[in-house]
Amino acid sequence: MTSTLVIARKELLDLRRNRFLLAILGFVLVAVVISVVVSATQFGTKLDDYNTYLDALRAAGSTTTPAAPQLFPLQLLRGSIEYLEILGALFAIVMGYGTIAKEKQRATLQLIYSRPISRYSLAAGKLLALAVAWLIAVAVIFGAVTATVAIVGHATFAPIDVQRLLVAAATAWAYLLMWSALALGLASSARRLSTALIVALVLWLTVVLIIPQIGDTMDPDNQVPGGLFKSLQIAKPDEQAVLANFAGFDSVRNGLEVSSITKHYERFTFAVLGIKDQYNQQPLAAVWTGTWNNAVSMWLAALLAAAFAIFTTTRRKLLRRTT
Amino acid sequence: MTTVLTMARQELVALRRERLPLVLLIVFVVMVSVSSLIGWLTNTTVSNVWQKTVEAGLTQAPNPFTDVSALYYARNTVIYLVLIGALMAIVVGVTSAMRDRKARTLDLVLSRPISVPAYLLGKLVGIGAWLAMILALVAVISWTSISVITGAALGPGESARLVAFYAVAWLLLQAFVTLGLLSGIYSARETTALLVPISIWSVVAFVLPQIGTSANPVSLLNPVPSVIVPGGAFDTLNTVLSPLSVTEEFKTASGLILGNPEVTGSLPLSLFVIVLAFAVGAIVLLATNRDRIRGALRD
Repeated sequence: MTSTLVIARKELLDLRRNRFLLAILGFVLVAVVISVVVSATQFGTKLDDYNTYLDALRAAGSTTTPAAPQLFPLQLLRGSIEYLEILGALFAIVMGYGTIAKEKQRATLQLIYSRPISRYSLAAGKLLALAVAWLIAVAVIFGAVTATVAIVGHATFAPIDVQRLLVAAATAWAYLLMWSALALGLASSARRLSTALIVALVLWLTVVLIIPQIGDTMDPDNQVPGGLFKSLQIAKPDEQAVLANFAGFDSVRNGLEVSSITKHYERFTFAVLGIKDQYNQQPLAAVWTGTWNNAVSMWLAALLAAAFAIFTTTRRKLLRRTT
Repeated sequence: MTTVLTMARQELVALRRERLPLVLLIVFVVMVSVSSLIGWLTNTTVSNVWQKTVEAGLTQAPNPFTDVSALYYARNTVIYLVLIGALMAIVVGVTSAMRDRKARTLDLVLSRPISVPAYLLGKLVGIGAWLAMILALVAVISWTSISVITGAALGPGESARLVAFYAVAWLLLQAFVTLGLLSGIYSARETTALLVPISIWSVVAFVLPQIGTSANPVSLLNPVPSVIVPGGAFDTLNTVLSPLSVTEEFKTASGLILGNPEVTGSLPLSLFVIVLAFAVGAIVLLATNRDRIRGALRD
């Protein structure tokens, strides 16, 4: 246990001193904050348009008052969540890979294993350090976006909103830790570091970008700007009745999407934050009932990645002759 | 000229042996090959959905895909070029610049009568030839799959448009190659060399278009350029930032060349931005001095 903590402390010290890592985390932070500012500005533009329209109506002598656009502060986080699922995952891979790559490149593994450390201490220590590092990073990111929503979006948060933010932050933490653990395991198990990086990058490309993109492309409603059913002027109940005839196609499309863990993360987080209209302003219990499978898949994948990292980061694997 | 060609030939031999570009190349070719099929499957489903709604008397709107060109099936290729193609180009550029630094053969190479610009130009020509061969291959795959799907060989006009589209794609990828080469030359570590251009790519592909159009990052994975939000600060921001977003300009140029009716914009302007990105990258690259390319690696 002590050796695990010593390794974790040393890893955290290294992470803190790594200016490049701090720079890329800063980059993610800037991207997510910009995203909130853009969303808040877009809402402001919509509100201005509404007021102009209202003034024109009144000037024309109309007494009808159309419904004003309503601000749901957590919906402003959509872009930020998407940045975490795309860029966050990429940088999580770099962080996880770096923890093992530096030991291999500096040939310090022999020195570490000359000490009396237990079988899984190195993996557990590094994983613990990554978990703490991501906890701090996620806390900073969510703190920053929440503050931006409050300041730029002029929004106030109810206690339930804070709970939603905490659940979303915990899910983001598990998602990012999953990618770091996966990269750590790959860097440990591959004979060549470059092979580990290749596999991790191809996995990222496939799981985060390609599969969700194919799923989106296959969605009939995404084929026409503004939505197919809107362009055909079809009401929601009729839309569902028509789509029931294409259940097979939709199953294939959905099956493809749920093969990506990124999609599970996105679906659960969008539901919790009310970004998906179906779950907006719904109690957390109702959200859980509708999306528990996404949350369980997400956390299970994170646990599997952590187990993969721990069981592959062994003395035998790390000290074998590399090519 | 001979030294440039020698360097280019050496680059082609080295690229054949590299594994990371090869893996990305396989993913790229597979995705481009299936993209026409995905497009056809989706279009067929949308047409069937429209047929059902008409039969049920729910709409009188025309089929949205009645008059689309056969090249519409190639539209998903645009996004795979922006995603996989650009990343592959970056990786190839970084790997190429890092290869001689890692093997410490640069001093030996530069001890021969070869200037630094000729050395770098040779690399750029070699990678350019490699990319041209790949794009020629995927163009043939696209042409064949679209012809099979539509049941008729593409005519000369449509074939020419497809060739023009892949020519513009080559320019875009070459711009990312120069970015990768520059990062490989200027970075002290391999990981940094790879991540800096990928971060720049993510700014160009996601952050800049989002600031200008307020589109969310995932919606930018759509082959059609984002629609500008009228009014407010977005008009001004988009005017300033859109020329910097080379990937969105590529989507515009591709959409116009392929005859995608959803895409509007100026083809000359989009082409100018893509050519400018490549030209600026190439000029900065060729202006690199001898001491810089001989810089030692830290890992």
